[in-house]
Amino acid sequence: MIERSQKEVWKLTPWLMIALLLGNFILMAYSAKTASNQNLIRVWAQTTAKFVQSPITGVSSAVTNYFQSISSLGTAKSENDVLKQRVQELEVELQNRESLAVENVRLKSILELKEQSDYKRLPAQIIGRDPSAWFDTLIINRGSLDGVKLNMPVVTKGGLVGRVSAVSPLTAQIYLITREKVSEGGVIGELGTSNALGVVSGTGKKELLEMGYVPGSIEVQVGDSVYTTGQEGIYPAGLKIGEIVEVRSGSATVQHQIFIKPSANFSAMQEVAVLFYEPPPRPEYDKSLPNAVKKK
Amino acid sequence: MEQLKITVALIIAILLQWTLRNVAEPFVYIDFPLIIVVYAALQRNAIKALFYGTFAGIAVDALSGGLLGANGFSKTLIAYIVSEIVRRVYLDNLLLKIPVIAGACLLNNVVYYGMHRLLGQEPTGEFVPTIAYTIIGTTVVGTIIYLILDSFFAESVIKRRKREMFAPRRQTRRRNPIRLGNRR
Repeated sequence: MIERSQKEVWKLTPWLMIALLLGNFILMAYSAKTASNQNLIRVWAQTTAKFVQSPITGVSSAVTNYFQSISSLGTAKSENDVLKQRVQELEVELQNRESLAVENVRLKSILELKEQSDYKRLPAQIIGRDPSAWFDTLIINRGSLDGVKLNMPVVTKGGLVGRVSAVSPLTAQIYLITREKVSEGGVIGELGTSNALGVVSGTGKKELLEMGYVPGSIEVQVGDSVYTTGQEGIYPAGLKIGEIVEVRSGSATVQHQIFIKPSANFSAMQEVAVLFYEPPPRPEYDKSLPNAVKKK
Repeated sequence: MEQLKITVALIIAILLQWTLRNVAEPFVYIDFPLIIVVYAALQRNAIKALFYGTFAGIAVDALSGGLLGANGFSKTLIAYIVSEIVRRVYLDNLLLKIPVIAGACLLNNVVYYGMHRLLGQEPTGEFVPTIAYTIIGTTVVGTIIYLILDSFFAESVIKRRKREMFAPRRQTRRRNPIRLGNRR
């Protein structure tokens, strides 16, 4: 081992710092330039991290479940009564739904509508969250060995969660919809009642989305649901994004400013599902337009 | 041996940073690798502190949604600044280390955020609350970790610091003028 005098160390340190900063800056510039988050360092780090994250997640969720089950024992009796009543109500509702489904099939056959194929869902457990306080990506325990590919949509029982941003053989990283930016391909949403279209993007605040480009002449209500349209070429149509919590009304010439609370509970969810959805190929003339709203 | 201990502490810090947010959200406001990088810089080992900064930063970036290298950049810069400060100012008292870790945390976050904005990436977190919570979390936990590490490394560190700070005194025999007078 080389022993350096303190004077030599003082002389060497600034040059070493400059070299390391330059190396980091080149990495950053490369990372900013590439559209995908996928690269060799991330793939290896995620694969290594899986062996640490999985056991810790398993232990922590087991401990949490144990304490939750103890605390829920007290309310179990009253909850049981409520659930029994709910089951009876649902049985009645199910019978109504069955008759509606039969009617739906009959009407579709009359109109000769094509049946939309159901996508395969791959359940996955969240084993890690972003180690930086500035971002909120997720890491799931499914990777390319399970068939997960870049940009596949990720959902939970509440609604849309985000898309796959990097894949390693054993894990995948997920970008939440709160991160999507208008200039990077925001989700195109459809208002449940009016069918008006707009671009849904992150606001910089956790658990709040903004919907822009909705004409001010259209009536919008707080509580309306917003769904994906599939036009951005990543998410399939019909996935629930969230519900409107605030509307700053526009006019005939000014667009509405709409704020949406996402349906998925990002901070509490432990499991998600990856949709094996591949968007239909875009026509040649459309490939020159990467996003709904082009970069400035 | 001392360097091996710090390297092990750094690896543990990276593993904690990777995993603890999934256990409880508030853990994200503690920057464990930064605490160890600053500690290494405070040990007056600038070169190793720089490498620790780069390695820890890239390891955190690899699992983050941010730019790869942004944390490496900010932590390397912090390691250099702290090692330069400690070269000029005596910072062996724990009370003096508290403002150092708070300042390092503030600068680390500002540089990290600034580099993302510079390269056209906007972080999702809100600027002021994220920085405020991170400074509080990192400073409180950092102080506790420094207490533990100081007791862990105590003997070897104190010996080395004494050797560096105070050059061995020359044992010179002074002539006592009174005795000189007596001799006459």
